[in-house]
Amino acid sequence: MATLLLDIVTTSSMLFIIAAGLMIILGVMKLINFAHGAFLTVGGYSAHVVTNAGFNAWLTIPAAAVVGFLLGIVVERVILRPLYDRPLDAILATWGLGIVIAQIITFIFGRGVQFAESPISGTTDLLSVGYSSWRLVLVVVALALGAALTALLYYTRFGLNARAVIMNENLARGLGIDSVRVRAVTFGLGAALACAAGALITPLLSIDPNMGLPWLVNSFMLVLVSGVAIPGLALASLLLGGAQVLVSTFVSPIIGGITIVVLAAVILRIRPGGLSRG
Amino acid sequence: MVDIASERAGRSLSSYWATAIVAALALAVVVAAPHFLGIYLTNVMIRALFLGVLALTVDLVWGYTGILTFGQSAFYGIGAYACALVFTHWGFGPGWFAAALVIAIVSAALVAWLVGLLSFYHGASPLYSSIMTLALPIVLVQIIFAGGTFTGSSSGLSGFPTYYWSLATWFVIAGALLVVVAAFAWLFVRGDFGRILIAIRENEDRCAYLGIPVSRIKTGLFVVCGAIGAVAGFGYAAFTDVVAPELAGFLLGTESLIWVALGGRATLIGPILGAIGIDVTSSYLSGSLPFLWKFIVGVAFVVVIILLPNGIASLVTGAWRRYKRHGKDGAAAHMHRETVTLVPAKGRGLEENLAADTSPIRIEALTCRYGSLTVLDGIEVEGRRGELLSIVGPNGAGKTTLMRCISNGSERSGGEVTIGGETIGRKSPQKIVALGVGRSFQNTSLFDSLTVGDCLRLARYRIDGARYFERSDKVALPEPALDILKATGLDRQLGLETRYLSHGMKRGLELAMVLATEPRVLLLDEPTAGLTKAERTAIGSVLTRLVEDYGLCVFLIEHDLDFVREISSRIVVLHQGKMLLDGSVEEVVSSDLVKAVYSGQETEAPA
Repeated sequence: MATLLLDIVTTSSMLFIIAAGLMIILGVMKLINFAHGAFLTVGGYSAHVVTNAGFNAWLTIPAAAVVGFLLGIVVERVILRPLYDRPLDAILATWGLGIVIAQIITFIFGRGVQFAESPISGTTDLLSVGYSSWRLVLVVVALALGAALTALLYYTRFGLNARAVIMNENLARGLGIDSVRVRAVTFGLGAALACAAGALITPLLSIDPNMGLPWLVNSFMLVLVSGVAIPGLALASLLLGGAQVLVSTFVSPIIGGITIVVLAAVILRIRPGGLSRG
Repeated sequence: MVDIASERAGRSLSSYWATAIVAALALAVVVAAPHFLGIYLTNVMIRALFLGVLALTVDLVWGYTGILTFGQSAFYGIGAYACALVFTHWGFGPGWFAAALVIAIVSAALVAWLVGLLSFYHGASPLYSSIMTLALPIVLVQIIFAGGTFTGSSSGLSGFPTYYWSLATWFVIAGALLVVVAAFAWLFVRGDFGRILIAIRENEDRCAYLGIPVSRIKTGLFVVCGAIGAVAGFGYAAFTDVVAPELAGFLLGTESLIWVALGGRATLIGPILGAIGIDVTSSYLSGSLPFLWKFIVGVAFVVVIILLPNGIASLVTGAWRRYKRHGKDGAAAHMHRETVTLVPAKGRGLEENLAADTSPIRIEALTCRYGSLTVLDGIEVEGRRGELLSIVGPNGAGKTTLMRCISNGSERSGGEVTIGGETIGRKSPQKIVALGVGRSFQNTSLFDSLTVGDCLRLARYRIDGARYFERSDKVALPEPALDILKATGLDRQLGLETRYLSHGMKRGLELAMVLATEPRVLLLDEPTAGLTKAERTAIGSVLTRLVEDYGLCVFLIEHDLDFVREISSRIVVLHQGKMLLDGSVEEVVSSDLVKAVYSGQETEAPA
């Protein structure tokens, strides 16, 4: 029972961390980033490179974030900026980008499975069961991330500009907000979050060129159900992540794999705006 | 007129013949080809031809209708698994073969119908539909995984009995399927219905307000394309004798988007060549340069999306168009050879309004709220036959919201609207059009790449229907719509794409389109905005005629009070969502209250 509870909490935290980058991009840019899975993969390989070079395993996360930010800025400039008027085409272009990134990684590292060192290993005793320490760390990270993103959106100049662009881009531009810059920074930030998330989950998974792909669709669903808001995303992760753990445990892991997709599709049909909006 | 009509009929017949001849030539190539191709290439080509059929369905759904679908592969997989499951577990023979094919088609159609019901409803965002088509293959693959030994789980099924015909035979089967589907698709997209698909892609909302059942058409198209995809998958499974979950997977779904995008969406031939070209090349290169080839396809895909949104085929068609346009001047270059003639509509038409005895529109206690903001509060208006009712009021008074609440059943928060004795309930816009409400919009939202003739034909869909495989050569319009077209000179521009029309002509076309739906209540939102004095007078006299000769009830939103005074029979004044006055022109014009509202003085609104 305690294990089940911890499974639910830690799985939800993982989902929250992974979907956060996607949500930031969707919220500000109205763009579904299909390269999100590839960004996660890039984060995983960044972690692999860092620990392979003998650096401290804690450095994997900031390193992945930096790689992601730079990658995001370049991608935004080269691929996305020409497609702002064609949102559905932008989705396709990011999907193509995902393919390209996966192939580049295959060129460099090969198709095989790689590993990265974990900053913390072993188990911790909690609620009278021994539980993976790293999964517990992820809960803390998720809480910190939620707080940090809220602070960024509501207590900084960038956040104010970003919220203005979210609400009414034309008006924001009229008020002198450089919406092009806001978009560029947002995409960089979203990519940085995605890569950092990739580094964060590598201690639990093996690294291969398509490791991000399975997370892609679930992340979308969570973000859409969340209604593109941080508390909504937390709620969606908890509800749908919890449902996934329950179904996987009591019914079958295979059906568990589609729980999020099916539930999200139903929720969105009933409440097209997701959980946050009426 | 008679000889023109017969010439048109001749042309439509000849387009059948042209398609039939091209299809026959293509079939001849298909029959001859296996003798010239090597064994390996024939093998690879058979697979590519089946995938070409899949690409065609993606082109119809995405390229023509604008539904970005990631899930077309699911239907391919359903077809393939129907074949494998029946032959493995139940039996094999001509009877079983036919039964399996029927199962494939019916189950794919059923799944497509269910997905369609979920994804296509009025107000669904295109993103939501795409997400649903994305979920479909993912769910399906997991179901296959969960099927254990029945579905063969992740390794799939193989070695089931099938027809071990020669490669050449299978090649002809696959090629003939592709040619037949392509020929019908070609006639389909060039017929009336094809125009409707494009109209849905360009302006779905406007289609709904012309009474076109957008969601039903999308679902229908999805069902047909799903069934065709299943036939292709069935053929592929029967040929290879192997099925695997990848056939239904999301990756094949996105791959088919790549073929269509690279080949050229909404061209039919582009996606076929894209599918065959990419699939055959990757069969050769995946041995020697597997990663490099995928990399090249990925890069090409991104580049084409950014720089050539209409695919590689657009290079060819663009050059062809430039060549044809050579020597023509400006507007003539954008004229399409128009094959349409306008005729007066027969039958019931607008005149029926004169005979109706119920009042055309009654609004009772209508309220509309957005959260805590009340935009309309307790509106009570009855519109009588042959009445031109102007709705005036300052900006933000709720005039356009009132129009919205009348024309879309899900907009209002309370109260009831009755059209000709029937309440609108929660009906969607296209059903309210069927009750007899026609609405024109504040902004001229037309269909950019359709011609004037196409737009008019579109507006007649609800009444006259559309032909599936040919273009009708006559558009029947009610008398006043014809008058407007004549007055604005649009009747001589039937072949011009609407994006090249002047603002005044767009307004005229918009009004003619709304009239073509034969409404009994006409909602006009600033129909004269941005028009010249002469155009304004012309519209005014059309409106007067509609009211006097045809007994329409017209609701008019207007800011030009002189114009309002000239043509209205009654005026309703709205202010901050409440009705301030409902009376004759004199009453309203002489009211101190109205003057006060317009000059912005504080007044106490009457309860």
